[in-house]
Amino acid sequence: MLDLAQNTMDGIAAGSAYALLAIGFTLIFGVMRRLNIAFGPSIMVGVFLGAWVNAQWSAGLIGATIATFAGALVASIYVERLSFAAIRGDAALASMASSFALWMQLEQGVALAFPGRTTAFPTLPPLLDVQFVGLILHGDDILVLTVAGIALFLLHRLIYRSHFGLEMRALADSAEAAAVSRVNTKRVAFLTFCLAALIGAVAGLLIAATDGQVSPKFGLWATIKGLVAMMIGGLGSLRGALLGGLALGIVEAQAQWYLGAAAREIVVFGLLFLCLIALPGGLAGMRETGAERKL
Amino acid sequence: MLEIADIKTSYGKIAALKGVSLDIHDGGLTCLLGPNGAGKTTLIWTIAGILKAQAGSMKIDSEEILGLKPHQIVSKGIVTVPENRLVFPDMSVRDNLIAGAFSRRKEKGGIEGDLEDVLTRFPRLRERSEQMAGTLSGGEQQMLAVGRALMARPKILLMDEPSTGLAPIIVEEIFEIIGGLRDEGRTIFLVEQNAHMALKYADRFYLLEQGRVTFSGEPGAVDHDEVIQRAYLGARKAS
Repeated sequence: MLDLAQNTMDGIAAGSAYALLAIGFTLIFGVMRRLNIAFGPSIMVGVFLGAWVNAQWSAGLIGATIATFAGALVASIYVERLSFAAIRGDAALASMASSFALWMQLEQGVALAFPGRTTAFPTLPPLLDVQFVGLILHGDDILVLTVAGIALFLLHRLIYRSHFGLEMRALADSAEAAAVSRVNTKRVAFLTFCLAALIGAVAGLLIAATDGQVSPKFGLWATIKGLVAMMIGGLGSLRGALLGGLALGIVEAQAQWYLGAAAREIVVFGLLFLCLIALPGGLAGMRETGAERKL
Repeated sequence: MLEIADIKTSYGKIAALKGVSLDIHDGGLTCLLGPNGAGKTTLIWTIAGILKAQAGSMKIDSEEILGLKPHQIVSKGIVTVPENRLVFPDMSVRDNLIAGAFSRRKEKGGIEGDLEDVLTRFPRLRERSEQMAGTLSGGEQQMLAVGRALMARPKILLMDEPSTGLAPIIVEEIFEIIGGLRDEGRTIFLVEQNAHMALKYADRFYLLEQGRVTFSGEPGAVDHDEVIQRAYLGARKAS
């Protein structure tokens, strides 16, 4: 019982990073109706830039953070221009295929630039573990949860309280109605892409800093985690992305503890299939409110 | 005044508009009639800047505006009430209306005032202002679409088939709203299949058939039956 609770707590910390990745995917999918599978690799470029800046000038976590945000933003804009802005809105498949091509390009580019492949990343400042009723809340996890929580709070404010958020929701709800209401659809789509990049960079940063390293495979890993969490939560729902990310984290932690690392992925993808078949609307689709279905 | 001259729009190789010219005069209801597939909605989407015209010109108060992007067209005061009442279904009625004022976000006070005006004009929208727009009835969604367009303070209101899919009694209600807007001196361009109702309210009409304007005039000066027949069925073959 204690194990179960401990695993759940560990899972929530990991899941909060997955949730941020899923939210990045969801923002892009909600507003553009297109899947950007180069999302993970764009973040990976940012994280590598952070690692490089740190190695070059011993910039520490702050310097690496700034570089990670900048790198993820530039890589995402590159993807947006080539795979989304340049391709007609209704050609969703072309965008996905093209973002796959850019994924390979980004991954190979980073592998060439960093022949050592796995590169060190500055770690999170050490924080004391907190103990209560026999459970341990790790210092790293506290930091991860705090940062992810702040990012989610700011995002929520932006989407539901700001003018830009209203434009974004309008575009996600109906592209035609948004266009005739004078939403500059291209501009809002572009800014949404940038927003997703920043959210993704927060996730990449937390994960890399927890691990203390990053490899070019991080792109693949982040895309898969984000996509799976998004699918479990319900395609196109922000609340679903949050729930899906947390659920993914918890299930992974439990599976790893009880069944071992090898079985973990099997359990995760089993869960994905179960969700797709039994809950086509995802976790968020269980309680259909309508209000947040698309964004 | 909006002057449209020789507009050509096609979908791939299929020409939908083969050179359409018409004028929308200030303060009055100009109506575009025509059978299914004549190109009426294509013309609206072309004016709104969502479809790209291959040729032609469109001038508002002598300024050329063909080729501008949709949001720029709205900034020129040309606001569309799209067909099938395209509201934002998952946003509240109030948010839908505020979305109509995207073009004017700088002037906060004016927006609140206009919101109040629209809610006073359509009391049913006030009752449901916190409800999701997707849960409204067809007639209420049409009111919302009109209200949203009014929030942009339009110079010219383009309305695409507001009566589609509504019960006859609701259609009359919608036309009374349109008539009321006209009586306030607003400029309205109404695209309508329901020629019978449209001719009752129009100051001037055009008949669009197979991508061309084939007939125009003032409702008082023509035989309504003839126009109505052609608007529903298209031109009779030369006999």
